[in-house]
Amino acid sequence: MMNLKKNEFLYFALRNNKLKIGLAVLFFFILLTFIGPLLTEYAPMDYIGPASAAPSSEFWFGTTTFGQDVFTQFVHGLKASFLVGIVGGGLGTLLAILVGFIAGYRGGMVDEILNMLTNIVLVIPTLAVLLIIVAYLEVRGLFIESVFIGCTAWPWAARAIRAQTFSLRTRDFVDLARLSGMRSLKVIFTEIAPNMMSYLLLVFILQFGGAILVAATLDFIGLGPTNAISLGLMMNNAVLWGALLLGIWWWFIPPGLAITAIVGALYITDVGLDEVFNPKLREM
Amino acid sequence: MNKRLPLWITLIMILSLILAGCAGPTPTPQTVVQTVEVPKEVTVVETKEVVVTQEVLVTPEPGAEVYERSETLYTGGTQWGPPTGFNPWNLGNYAMGTFGLCYEPLFIYDPLTDEFTPWLAESGAWTSDNVYQVKLRQGVTWSTGEPFTAADVKYTYDAAQEAPVSISPVWDFLGSVEQLDDTTVNFVFDEPLYQRWSYYLYSAPVVSKSRWETKSVEEITSGLNEDPECTGPYVAETLDQTKVVWLKRDGWWATEALGLDPKPKRIVDIVNSGNNNVALGMVLQGQFDLNNNFLPGISKLVEGGYGVQTYYLGSPYHLSANTAWLLLNLTKKPMDDPAFRRAVAFAIDTEQIVNVVYGGMVLPANPTGLLPTWEKYIDQAVVDEVGFSYDPEEAKQILAGAGYKDADGDGFVEAPDGSKIELKINNPAGWTDWMEANRVIVSGLQAVGISAQTNFPDFPEYLSQRNEGTFDMMINNDAQIANTPFRYYLWMAQNPIEDIATIQDGNYGRYDNPEAFDLVDQLDMVPTDDYEGMMAILSQLQRIFLTDMPLIPLWYNGMWSQTNNTYWTNWPSSADGAPHWTPVSWRGYWNMTAIRMLTDLEPAQ
Amino acid sequence: MEDWKIGSQTSVLPFFQLGGPVKAYFRRKLLIYILTFFVAVTIDWMIPRFMPGNPVDVLMARAGMFAEGAELMHDYYTNVFGLDLPVWRQYLNFWNALLHGDLGTSVYVFPLPVTKVIMRAVPFDIFLLLPSILLSWLAGNWFGAFAARSKRLDNTILPLGYILTATPYMWLAMLLAWALGIVLKIFPMSGGYSYAMTPTFSWAFIGSLLEHWFLPFVSLFLVGFGGWAIGMRNMIIYELESDYSHYLEALGAPRRLVRRYAFNNAILPQLTGLALQLGVIVAGALVTEVVFSYPGIGYLILQAINTRDYFLLQGCFLFIILMVLLANFIIDIAYVLVDPRTRTGMQGEAI
Repeated sequence: MMNLKKNEFLYFALRNNKLKIGLAVLFFFILLTFIGPLLTEYAPMDYIGPASAAPSSEFWFGTTTFGQDVFTQFVHGLKASFLVGIVGGGLGTLLAILVGFIAGYRGGMVDEILNMLTNIVLVIPTLAVLLIIVAYLEVRGLFIESVFIGCTAWPWAARAIRAQTFSLRTRDFVDLARLSGMRSLKVIFTEIAPNMMSYLLLVFILQFGGAILVAATLDFIGLGPTNAISLGLMMNNAVLWGALLLGIWWWFIPPGLAITAIVGALYITDVGLDEVFNPKLREM
Repeated sequence: MNKRLPLWITLIMILSLILAGCAGPTPTPQTVVQTVEVPKEVTVVETKEVVVTQEVLVTPEPGAEVYERSETLYTGGTQWGPPTGFNPWNLGNYAMGTFGLCYEPLFIYDPLTDEFTPWLAESGAWTSDNVYQVKLRQGVTWSTGEPFTAADVKYTYDAAQEAPVSISPVWDFLGSVEQLDDTTVNFVFDEPLYQRWSYYLYSAPVVSKSRWETKSVEEITSGLNEDPECTGPYVAETLDQTKVVWLKRDGWWATEALGLDPKPKRIVDIVNSGNNNVALGMVLQGQFDLNNNFLPGISKLVEGGYGVQTYYLGSPYHLSANTAWLLLNLTKKPMDDPAFRRAVAFAIDTEQIVNVVYGGMVLPANPTGLLPTWEKYIDQAVVDEVGFSYDPEEAKQILAGAGYKDADGDGFVEAPDGSKIELKINNPAGWTDWMEANRVIVSGLQAVGISAQTNFPDFPEYLSQRNEGTFDMMINNDAQIANTPFRYYLWMAQNPIEDIATIQDGNYGRYDNPEAFDLVDQLDMVPTDDYEGMMAILSQLQRIFLTDMPLIPLWYNGMWSQTNNTYWTNWPSSADGAPHWTPVSWRGYWNMTAIRMLTDLEPAQ
Repeated sequence: MEDWKIGSQTSVLPFFQLGGPVKAYFRRKLLIYILTFFVAVTIDWMIPRFMPGNPVDVLMARAGMFAEGAELMHDYYTNVFGLDLPVWRQYLNFWNALLHGDLGTSVYVFPLPVTKVIMRAVPFDIFLLLPSILLSWLAGNWFGAFAARSKRLDNTILPLGYILTATPYMWLAMLLAWALGIVLKIFPMSGGYSYAMTPTFSWAFIGSLLEHWFLPFVSLFLVGFGGWAIGMRNMIIYELESDYSHYLEALGAPRRLVRRYAFNNAILPQLTGLALQLGVIVAGALVTEVVFSYPGIGYLILQAINTRDYFLLQGCFLFIILMVLLANFIIDIAYVLVDPRTRTGMQGEAI
């Protein structure tokens, strides 16, 4: 039975264009992240070429005002984006699952308190708080940035998971488990979670994309990591050094394009997966 | 459709409710009176809303006041936040031009020729060892119509004794200010600090007694002074979040006395947007006539046919305004070791900072750090003997000679006592040119085996690390161009060290050398026209600083100035026949010779 | 906006003549809102004070000309901002002043009061955010509903929606500024209105406002539009595939009718989504304002952080918190009005 179901997913997955396109784009960028650094002999911050040179066979994406290779910065920046996506998105999802499950399953007072917590995080302008917390850190690294993004990204997902848990909790098999004396946590993880696996995967993908966008925003304002390169930081530098006005378009187009492509691909993958998991949504 | 109706109504309610709270730009009073018509269909809604719409739907006037471009001078690069009033004592926030265009000093100082020009004063001289007598000009009037007299000068200094303002410390050595007649004032000193006093002559604005004597201490120190009285050529017309507008006034004293007449009818100074792009764009599009932001890629601009020019035609493009140093925290190991500090000095590739980071927009600093305008005070013999230059091999030798060795084989040296060295070099986040320069410094240090890292705290944190002495090394450029190198050494050799956090008066590296401090105090007592007397002390100071190396001069930051010939011409420039004035609108520069730049401008055809 | 109270809201309710349980429902909601407000504002008060660095240093650094005067000024400023008091005292003073409508003195624009600084920026925010949020929500939902299950639209234009919603706010803003502002020179790329004008109530000034408003508006609108269109399209498909839709279709109900039911059901989660997304949109507005130097609250926040302006920062946060709460409250009301189930059972959770 389980096997059949898996094959069925695979069958629909292979036939789903959205999923295919999304995954192809993602795969391309992941590949670039790993292969890219091998294609370039430079370090991202080194001054290696002529100042603000246009893309050429030698410098594929051109150079910055200081003669740094934009392609090298780009591929290193990709790595940073994926890292933030995995850590920030992952943490955001974990927190959402924790809060969502507990609030949805326990209900009552616990639910009220967690709900209030969610509301507060929702109401406080999170980006602004992030700005402050990030500014507070003496050394700002990618990892810490990701952790903070994860810590503020969970509310919407927690709420969605809570609603799902709420509806599952009244189902017969959950009641049965509860009546048989299982502890709450065990019920959550053995009975409820498996039934929401596909949903949680979708949530994670959205969190992944969201974390990349928030990181880019932070970096752009100049509050990103200070000891690494990232796509947002590239855009930040481009703006600060007048790339828009001096016509150095190769400095700010690639990083933004990559973020858009990656996040867009994640979203499309998300919808594609949704269609695969949910028979009703499949294209007829 | 029915079901959606409430939703739509709600949304419209949201809109009107929020509009109710903040009804767009506030209408000027007269326009409100002008129209009372309320559109009919709105009256259907409940009365509360109608009141709101009344305000919103007033018919606007047909024309707006737009400044005539050919009569207006647009400047920018001075104000980092919205201007708040015209109080010349509210130093960081007063509107650009408050001191210089409106309030004026007794003298103006020209750093390029090292000359004082009498301004509100007609002359000034030491009449005895401790009395400085100022003769004021006759025929100077305030914009209020009142005459400017010696009483105003006396009041200005007396008020600084009551209220804490920037010139208050003058009372540490000033005994009294005596008004002899309407145009003569005697400054009687307890202790004649000639060097220090010379700075006040051109850096202190004079305010009107009758206007200010009724103000409270708080109003004097930090009041808005919304309607300033001016002796200068301009009066304040208006200010808002994004700019301040100055309007030329009739009857400026210098028109008659010196034949000077500024041509722009209005000067509009635009607040920096925190984003150089905006300034750069406005320069390229000819919206700025004078811009004093640091704009990268200036060579492209000058050579790109945008009609933009700088003071010099080629590199370094700009005059030098201050020295950027690497400050070392002498209270921490290993920066407390002069040998280590010297090794750091030899390890930094200043040429790369100048040429790659700045693209030739700045000059490398003399090892003494003295600005080009102070060149005559540099003792070249001392520099030749104990100066430094970029030489990584020399740096390595100094390190090895002082016992710094790589004991654990990680590629970086350890201190002679075996402890690890891991240093951070601070500069404020977002100061992009310094951030790049910092990277060059770090790679230079790493190349000679010193483990260092860039560190970019945001500006306030940079300040608190600086003030509390918790940094390792930092880039800083606090000591600005001034009339005498005494200011420079005063900054570097500040006493007492324990109060730096509140006094914030330089020497953030906590350099403690009584001998140097004493020399600076001696220098203070040397009259400014006694070149030999000054040099005798200055060369000793240069030797001490070059052997001790409490800080490392790196490059000279520029007097960034981009000018555009589209609407105004005859800008200051190094070219023959062009006026040689300080081409910046920054605070503290109008009272150098920027005001003369204004009077030499010509409208373009 | 600080005089926003429930009082101004109650006038809305009789308009729709709602009954008793509604009142109880809103009373409970209101209590939650007040609690949330209190905690949020307290956090908002605390955070800037835990940041390293302090406003006095910044003011001094900015003024730094006559260095010898520094000690006097240091004491003076410390006293002006009340930073010499114990922290608990500062906190009490803060609430006390807040209840009197006083938010303190700004450091960034010393010595103006914070309320004045904020009120200068607020019109620009309303002007920018309200239309971009509402229009993108309405247009996005309409378009998404339209595109759902329409093969051609779904495959051609919806990918565009994905791209838009995945675009970083500032990148879209940069592209627009570059293409329309710098290359084509159609729109100004910075400021809230022309520097050559003083704010007056005139056509020319309004024209200038609109001209400067256009690019920030478009970039906020486009990103939002993409998101809502995708969301609506997915919701509609869920609804169309649900049992009741199939049932209706089986009964021979016209397709249009089925779609309308689907739309009416789908709009509710979208409304909730709006409430949830407000924070993100405000953040997006912040970077957009930075790119275009648009003089709104977002721009102020960044400046306040850079000058450690505790008071301005608090004020800006307070404003955002109030606005988000207010918007949530309005969405709550809308929810009750649109969804009959919430009206009878009062079980709905809009916020």
